[in-house]
Amino acid sequence: MRYYLMTLGCQMNLSDGERIHSVLKGMGLEQSDSDENADLVGIIACSVRQKAIDKVYNQVARWNRKKNHSNLITFISGCILPDDRERFLKLFDMVFPMSEVNHLPEMIRSYGIASPASLEIPFSGIPKNEQIFSLWNIQPSYRSTFEAFVPIQNGCNKFCTFCAVPYTRGREVSRPSSEIFQQVQDLIERNYRSITLLGQNVNSYGLDKGGKEIGFAQLLEEIGKLGTNSGKEFWVYFTSPHPRDMTSDVLDIISAYPHLAKQIHLPLQSGDDKILVKMNRNHSLEQYREIVQGIRTKLPEATLFTDIIVGFSGETEAQHRRTMDAMNEFSFNMAYVAQYSPRPGAASFRWEDTVLKEDKRRRLHQLNEILSTTASLHNSALVGKTCRVLVTGTDRLPGYLKGLTEGKINVRFPATQLSLVGEFTDLIITGYSGLSVEGKMAPIQVAALATDELNLQL
Amino acid sequence: MNAKVEQATFVIEKVRHLTESTYVLRFSRNEMKFSPGQHLVLGLPGSTELREYSIYSGVNDDFLEVLIKEVDEGLVSRQLKNIRSGDQLEVRGPYGFFLTRASKQDPGGVLFISSGTGIAPFHSFVRSFPESDYRLIHGVRNLEEGYDLDHYQRAYITLCTSRDDQGDFSGRLTDHLLEAELDPERDVYLCGNSNMIFDAMDILRARGIPQNQIFTEVYF
Repeated sequence: MRYYLMTLGCQMNLSDGERIHSVLKGMGLEQSDSDENADLVGIIACSVRQKAIDKVYNQVARWNRKKNHSNLITFISGCILPDDRERFLKLFDMVFPMSEVNHLPEMIRSYGIASPASLEIPFSGIPKNEQIFSLWNIQPSYRSTFEAFVPIQNGCNKFCTFCAVPYTRGREVSRPSSEIFQQVQDLIERNYRSITLLGQNVNSYGLDKGGKEIGFAQLLEEIGKLGTNSGKEFWVYFTSPHPRDMTSDVLDIISAYPHLAKQIHLPLQSGDDKILVKMNRNHSLEQYREIVQGIRTKLPEATLFTDIIVGFSGETEAQHRRTMDAMNEFSFNMAYVAQYSPRPGAASFRWEDTVLKEDKRRRLHQLNEILSTTASLHNSALVGKTCRVLVTGTDRLPGYLKGLTEGKINVRFPATQLSLVGEFTDLIITGYSGLSVEGKMAPIQVAALATDELNLQL
Repeated sequence: MNAKVEQATFVIEKVRHLTESTYVLRFSRNEMKFSPGQHLVLGLPGSTELREYSIYSGVNDDFLEVLIKEVDEGLVSRQLKNIRSGDQLEVRGPYGFFLTRASKQDPGGVLFISSGTGIAPFHSFVRSFPESDYRLIHGVRNLEEGYDLDHYQRAYITLCTSRDDQGDFSGRLTDHLLEAELDPERDVYLCGNSNMIFDAMDILRARGIPQNQIFTEVYF
């Protein structure tokens, strides 16, 4: 019995997918890389962009046609808006929220797929709030042997008017810190090099527990201590924080612990105060500026990433220019710029989508131009310096490997030794191009590699 | 902020009509804990059409209330207007943190500015902390839209009426803001439609209120 799982959307979905893989493999099912030979096919959906939802409808239509001449069972989970859920109920055999993934064996069994392992898994009537905890308790089947996600929180209470996450994932629920420490410790012992703490608003971690759980700063500090005590080399990231909850003690702690990576992803969304109000972001440009000043002072080596939406409902040219000004002022290393598209379920869906498509495209292009300039400025300053890099795989350019600096800047360098993938190495940066840099291995690393190869030959 | 209830069915206790288009929906509390300024997501049971409404009642009331204005083409506000005592209501929440900072200040020392049904979170605050040191500038079209004025300390509220001269100030609340005496020490909380909030923000900043003392909640 084989299964195929398609994961759409963000890192949170990828992390959830790792747990679905575990559940299915625990039932004795075998993973298939394509849906062609699979008996069970599923999707982890994303509702952030219409394109991802369109993909779901196209895929399930294809699967349902295939059902005419083969036995195929379909399921969908992930971020699903109420309207889509109603439609999916008619299109998929199983529709369930991620919090109920531990019931998946029971659901599959009801369709007649009974492996010996699945029959041993009892149905558990766990109360709703507990169910998300049981998802986290599933040991994930990690996609990588050196990079891993650790969910620390699910859901969102912020109600940004452009976003439907509070309606798809529910309200914020923090994972118990003891479980987080356990998973991080496990990853450290397994020599993971990059660990990313995940949540929709990571820095409001613990706030839902009314003082019965530690806050985000303390969570980071404890993880920083785990790093110090381990004697191992790895970097810990987190995404995404909300500027509203970004406190200076978080920056102090990142500064104090070397394992906490000096990279901050801080969504700005717009550089105009009135658009920020309309987005219900609950912070002003000035408050964002104060946080950035704190980052520059306390973490001078940190890279700064952001998210921006162009063409939000009612955004004027003058307001867009303020976002351009903000992009220039904050000099981001990386910005994920998206054109606004109204999402059913989000509050702004009820507002007119006033900005023309061609204007949105132009505004996006203008911001990406600024990004290219600021990123190049940062990256050019790296030339000639030695950077610690985590090698992540082979580059598209033949004869090159690729990797990431601690600040998550893309690097490529001439090398072919696959033994380097998943390891740290020192590179001398030799050049830059837009958002990435190029390097060569530092002489000491080359010598070490040559010795390793010699030993292997002997 | 201890949200005990995430999603449940509540029972309507009363519908109090304030004007032809505006009404207060009262329903069972079901032991829900909330802070003034938080909102609920409401709709008919089983419906996929739900809307956000600020809680109108106080933390000590044994019921929950929301203030609703029926809007043109507003599906949920029209559906809920026809609801009756004993009917069921789907409720999610509470959510939000609009008045979290104000609720921690004792006594208040806050300035509230609202238009229309944007008064709801401030009504909840005043019901919850009647002794607090608040001032409220509230903009409506006419006196009839000045709902439940006796629930506020009379000296603390300035009603601005733009289409009659029955209020404390005849004209738009933004006109009043241009000349009102402002205490620069007070945090300012704005709630209402985005145009009012944008105009009021400009005036407040021009009059020297720092941006980090201004908090907003847009109604849509």
